[in-house]
Amino acid sequence: MKLGFRSKIYLGLFSLLLLLGIVILFVVSMIMKEALLEENRNRGISIGSILAARMAEPVLAMDFFRMKTLVDETVRLSDDIFYTFVLNDKGKPLVHTFKGGFPIELKEANSVSDIHKYSIRLLDTGKQLIYDYAFPIIIDKDRFGTIRIGLLRTKIQEVINRLIRSTFLSTGIVIIIAVFVGTALALPVTSRIKILHKSSEQALLGNLDIQVAPLLKKNCWEIMNCNKKECPAYGKTYHRCWYIAGTMCPDCIEGEYAQKIKSCKNCHVYYRCSGDEIQSLAESFNSMALSLKTHLSELQNAEKTLKEQQQLLKTVLDATPDFVFLQNNKSVYLSANKSFCDLIGRQEKKIIGKTDFDIFSERRAETYIKEDHNILKSGNPLFKECKISGREGTKWLHVVKIPVYEADGKIGGLLCSGRDITELKRVQEQLAQAQKMESIGQLVAGIAHEINTPMGIVLGYAQLLLEEVKPESQAYNDLKIIEKQTRICKKIVADLLRFSRRTESTMKLLNINETIEDVLTVVEHTFKLDRVSLARRLEPALPAIVGDNEKLKQAFINLVNNAFDAISGEGMITISTHYDAQLDEVIISVLDTGDGISSGKIDRIFDPFYTTKPVGKGTGLGLAVTFGLIQEHKGKIEVESPPPAESNDVKSSGGSLFTIHLPVSGEKKEMEIEDVKHIGIR
Amino acid sequence: MKKKILNAILIFLFLSVGCSQEQPAQKIDLSKREQVILREDENIITYAYLPQYSHTVSYHRHHLLVEYLRKETRLNIKQIFPDTFNKHIKMVGQGRIDISYSNPFVYVKIANRYGAGAFSRVVEVGNRKNFRGQIICRSDNRSIKNIADCRGKRLIAVDPTSAGGYLYPLGHFYNHGLTKSDFSEIAFSPGPGGKQEKVVLAVYAGKYDIGTIREGTLKVVSDKIDINEIRVVASSRWYPGWVYSARKDLAPEIVEKIKKALLKLNYKNKDYKPILQAADIMGIIPSDDKDFDLVRKLSAKLGLSL
Repeated sequence: MKLGFRSKIYLGLFSLLLLLGIVILFVVSMIMKEALLEENRNRGISIGSILAARMAEPVLAMDFFRMKTLVDETVRLSDDIFYTFVLNDKGKPLVHTFKGGFPIELKEANSVSDIHKYSIRLLDTGKQLIYDYAFPIIIDKDRFGTIRIGLLRTKIQEVINRLIRSTFLSTGIVIIIAVFVGTALALPVTSRIKILHKSSEQALLGNLDIQVAPLLKKNCWEIMNCNKKECPAYGKTYHRCWYIAGTMCPDCIEGEYAQKIKSCKNCHVYYRCSGDEIQSLAESFNSMALSLKTHLSELQNAEKTLKEQQQLLKTVLDATPDFVFLQNNKSVYLSANKSFCDLIGRQEKKIIGKTDFDIFSERRAETYIKEDHNILKSGNPLFKECKISGREGTKWLHVVKIPVYEADGKIGGLLCSGRDITELKRVQEQLAQAQKMESIGQLVAGIAHEINTPMGIVLGYAQLLLEEVKPESQAYNDLKIIEKQTRICKKIVADLLRFSRRTESTMKLLNINETIEDVLTVVEHTFKLDRVSLARRLEPALPAIVGDNEKLKQAFINLVNNAFDAISGEGMITISTHYDAQLDEVIISVLDTGDGISSGKIDRIFDPFYTTKPVGKGTGLGLAVTFGLIQEHKGKIEVESPPPAESNDVKSSGGSLFTIHLPVSGEKKEMEIEDVKHIGIR
Repeated sequence: MKKKILNAILIFLFLSVGCSQEQPAQKIDLSKREQVILREDENIITYAYLPQYSHTVSYHRHHLLVEYLRKETRLNIKQIFPDTFNKHIKMVGQGRIDISYSNPFVYVKIANRYGAGAFSRVVEVGNRKNFRGQIICRSDNRSIKNIADCRGKRLIAVDPTSAGGYLYPLGHFYNHGLTKSDFSEIAFSPGPGGKQEKVVLAVYAGKYDIGTIREGTLKVVSDKIDINEIRVVASSRWYPGWVYSARKDLAPEIVEKIKKALLKLNYKNKDYKPILQAADIMGIIPSDDKDFDLVRKLSAKLGLSL
């Protein structure tokens, strides 16, 4: 059990007094005992010496009566004189005070030589202790006998015990008085400390409206008779003016307690109102509580503002797509925003307080720590682009790490921000490709334009020669081959010219179903020969679109030919149309049951000159031309392989689905056009 | 910390106990008793010095002489100490004192009463064969300037049987017209022994106006009081000195042996000088009873019974 302050005072006081009492008791009793024994010894010596002197005459005279009288008188002197007797020079008893004979052993129990004045021996009779004193009777240097006196030690002991009891009693009374006095002194102290303790507990519980200091008989405004109600000390009965800043007495110094207390100590208000140390403590406690309350209020406001700012900052940081985190100079994470948490797939609480080694692989953590170390050492920021691979694939990140300086100018940590530039990288690659393709297109257009004229001349002359030679001649056959190949060349050139948009378009309102039907009628027979059937799912009431009928036919022919080429053996090509009222688009889809397109190739199938067909079978321009034609109509084309399940009635796991979106109005919103531009020439 | 304090207290207590002067007690059995019976030696020749001084002075003065006599005579001589002059006189009569060394007044009493016979007497210091008494008072007593001034005064004397301390001064007073009735009070030294000294001390204390002592007493008490405080008012005439006598029935050959030994003492002999110095005498000369007739006459003149 913990002792209270009061109990400790009592216990300390009691222990101290008890210890003091014991020591005093012991020392005093020892001193008294020694003094009594010494006194007793001296008394015995005194009595014996006198008796020895007085005994000289009777011994010389052999006056037994006087000798007997003297020893009897000596015994009667005090209760503690047990016996007295006289031995002659031969050691035989002359007179004694014993009744019933002389104790034989007593004669030899003590002796004294002629040269000594006395001899003392402590005798134990079994019932009591006796100090036996022996004194020689010397007359003119001759030994005439010995005086022996027995003083009871028991009597002295009784006196000693009485003295010890008295001392003990006195000590006890002193202790009791001291305890009462101590209680009277300690009670006001402890009660005030108790009040202080309760007040401090209240303060700890948050109640700072505590009044510990005692009320004064006269307060400062009453002493000064100032009546300055605007003074901050006015009316504050529990607070002393020297603790309050801004008091308005003429002698008061501006400032807080530290500045003004020196001056205040010379003020007679201080002399009258200041109390003892505990009162001062209570008063300073009051003022401290008041000051604390004020500061706490300010602190709470500051904390609130800080929290708001923190929340705001967190919101901003979390809202930003860039990831941001803060590390100290030991590379321990202090803060991280949502993007960073998402990037590394950890909750914020599992990042804060951790290091890179806790979050990343050892190799990567070592790299990061090394970077951090260089930044912290040099103070130079770091800018880098890096590629990271994870479960969600490979990502490109742009990372900036800058040192964070503390108030003393030292680097206390570093701030890292970064953003996912994977999309940017991809767009950059696409842009480069597009630029490349654009250059190729321009080149091709130039070449095609230049080649188109000579090819027309070659074809014209070949046809002229065919009219002049016999059909069965070898020359005719050779010219036919020249004509055929020239036509192929002309078709390639025409395709190239279309690809490079060098052909003029004739835009008009048209029913897309009719355009599709025209195309299908041409190819259906040929496809059937190769056991590829066509299925039509054309929505009858489609709105008319604005477009070039021939160019759209070319686009559809390219698509169905592409679908036919994708089917090896028996298969089906399903052409469907429908109107999406929400997007205000006509959507045309071509679904085949072919082998489908691998994921690695699907991104490139709209690139010019990209083909998966054998050499001589395709030019690699079909889908690129189709893409260009649809783009010319402000539409877009998409491919999915394998097609989604809902679009495929035929139970086949393979195949591809090409979907063309053509705007009904023929115009798109600016944003959508921008999107298309971003997508590039696909 | 608590342990240290406890140890300090224990050490303190231990040392305090160690400081005690208590000694171990010796076991003794008081129940074994015996009756005390003293047996006197037989064939003792008792020698007594009239107790004009204390026994210790008497012993001091005569124990060497007795020792000398014991050796010289081969007799078992032992000094005894009667408490008073009367007891001395009676003990001579009772035969308990064989050799008496007394003043002439006592001698004439024991001679008259018990037939004691003088056989030698002493030569006093100063080589005087006689001695005298003195009348003293306090030096500051202005009322006593001469012997006549002693009239009506309080007188203390050594003993009614004292020669120098009573008889001789009383004769001197008588010769100057003063009798016992002329004093307001005549007292004698109380108690046993030391009677000469007591007279001086009583006058010195102022209890008595005048005192009578034998000459030489002031020297004896000079270690006790300032003798300048005492003035000798008058001295008596010279009378025979102290006398050795033997009781009536003591064998003459023993008396002769002792007398011979006493007369042998010579102050000039270095062996005997300390004996004589201790006894405060210069020597011992032969004497007989008629040497003391003068004292008998004085007693008769003063009306004192012998």
